[in-house]
Amino acid sequence: MTHKKAHPASFRDPSGFMFVEEGIVKRQINPIYFKQYQALKDSEFFNTLFKSNLLIPHEELSHSSEQIIIQPEQIPFITYPYEWCFNQYKEAALLTLKLQKYSLEKGFSLKDASAFNVTFHKGKAIFIDTLSFDFYIENSPWRAYKQFVSHFLGPLLMAHYHGAQSLKLMSNYIDGIPLNMIASMLPFKSKLNPFLYSNIHLLAKFEDKYHEDYKGESKVKSLSKKAQLNIIQSLYDFIKKLSLKEHSEWGNYYNKTNYSDAAFNLKSDIINNWISKLNVKTVIDVGGNDGTFVRRITSNLEQALVCDIDNNAVDYNYKTIKENKERFMLPFVLDVLNPSASIGFNNEERTSFIERITKYQPDITLALAVIHHMSLSENVTFEMSAQFFAKFSKHLIIEFPKREDSWVQRLLNNKADFKDYFGFYNIENFEKAYTNYFEIIEKKPIENSERVMYLLKTKHYKNY
Amino acid sequence: MTFLYFDPAIGAMIVQAIVAAIAGVLLFSKNLLLKVKVFFGLAKSKEEDLFDDIEIEKSEIEKKDSSDS
Repeated sequence: MTHKKAHPASFRDPSGFMFVEEGIVKRQINPIYFKQYQALKDSEFFNTLFKSNLLIPHEELSHSSEQIIIQPEQIPFITYPYEWCFNQYKEAALLTLKLQKYSLEKGFSLKDASAFNVTFHKGKAIFIDTLSFDFYIENSPWRAYKQFVSHFLGPLLMAHYHGAQSLKLMSNYIDGIPLNMIASMLPFKSKLNPFLYSNIHLLAKFEDKYHEDYKGESKVKSLSKKAQLNIIQSLYDFIKKLSLKEHSEWGNYYNKTNYSDAAFNLKSDIINNWISKLNVKTVIDVGGNDGTFVRRITSNLEQALVCDIDNNAVDYNYKTIKENKERFMLPFVLDVLNPSASIGFNNEERTSFIERITKYQPDITLALAVIHHMSLSENVTFEMSAQFFAKFSKHLIIEFPKREDSWVQRLLNNKADFKDYFGFYNIENFEKAYTNYFEIIEKKPIENSERVMYLLKTKHYKNY
Repeated sequence: MTFLYFDPAIGAMIVQAIVAAIAGVLLFSKNLLLKVKVFFGLAKSKEEDLFDDIEIEKSEIEKKDSSDS
């Protein structure tokens, strides 16, 4: 028996661990969890959840007295809670509650309720921690209740009261936002709401009161299954209704751009033409907004990652995905100027965006209407952005708005007295910097606009 | 559960009795209100929801069977 190296994120649960063997993610189950695993398998529990697309399906590879090895369906690109838009977050929360309710009905219970147990796959939230289910002990309260509140209810409430950007807090609080912090950040009127008072304020108070009980002397009260189901149901009802206060304006974003319809179609045709020529299967659209351009790609894509800094744009995209039941599109929130870092123990539990995307290696990167924002709003030099885009895919389609473009003019005017510092922003300097990393395969101006489309190929592309 | 690998959350375990009681009252009154509304014909027609109901077996599997066949 060879010793398998556990994935750095898989150390918390002694029931087993995840490991990667020849690029395939597998899971070892230790004898301590055999009973549960067998019961879940025999009772058709797993099968029902596989069929309803709520739990990642797996197959059993081997079974001995020391270990069981299972291989889950592989998820090409993992997104983390701090990269989700509001409705994705909501769906992940509802999924967790759904699973807990189903578990209770079948005599099991979720032993944890971490937001990191969920990710997005084929257009919907899916639970990925197969070993989270344990036997339900009659009349015991839900062990993971506090975790659920700090991982799901708390962040969603913060987003409701303070805006979707507060979901980013999860990148700092890897084990959920502290309860007293949530309680202190909710408005006073939340104390008058019985649901919020009990689930947040009272919970925070109790946790504070008992957290120094090292000896475990406090007696945990029993709680009937019916009572626990009431908690789950009321959490579900509340979260399902929760919405953002801010209004998404992305619905008509494209009406506000400086494109004529013809130019818009032309841009889309150029992209389509290049993508079909290259036989592209996977795409990342950086600054992809609500996915409009990816949706207009006519070739058959396996997967399209569409990221944007704006939570509302991603949310709008996600709603469209749900309505159209699209499976190939994976939207997420990403700030190109500060992409998700590696976090957790040893900085290894959750990998950085750059690490994940380099490994994923999309066939092509789309950077439409991004370069002027990177260069002029954020002062990223052409050299730096070229280096960034050359990192993760072989081809790049980039749109360059010339100095005369009205958006560029607006950005430059915002610079006021510093406008002269941005003399570098012109097409010659752009090409000079980008050809250090790429060769230009094709270059096409978009008629009736001050924009040029480039199809570029990386010069020193490494195959990882 | 024979082991614990995270915060025991004793306070959270104790408080659940109260949370559940409040949830029970809320759910009961919500259902009652709905019944009253239905009785007076005030209940709104069901809006198209982005997310389904909490029940797994009823909603998801039926849908799956019908869409995949």
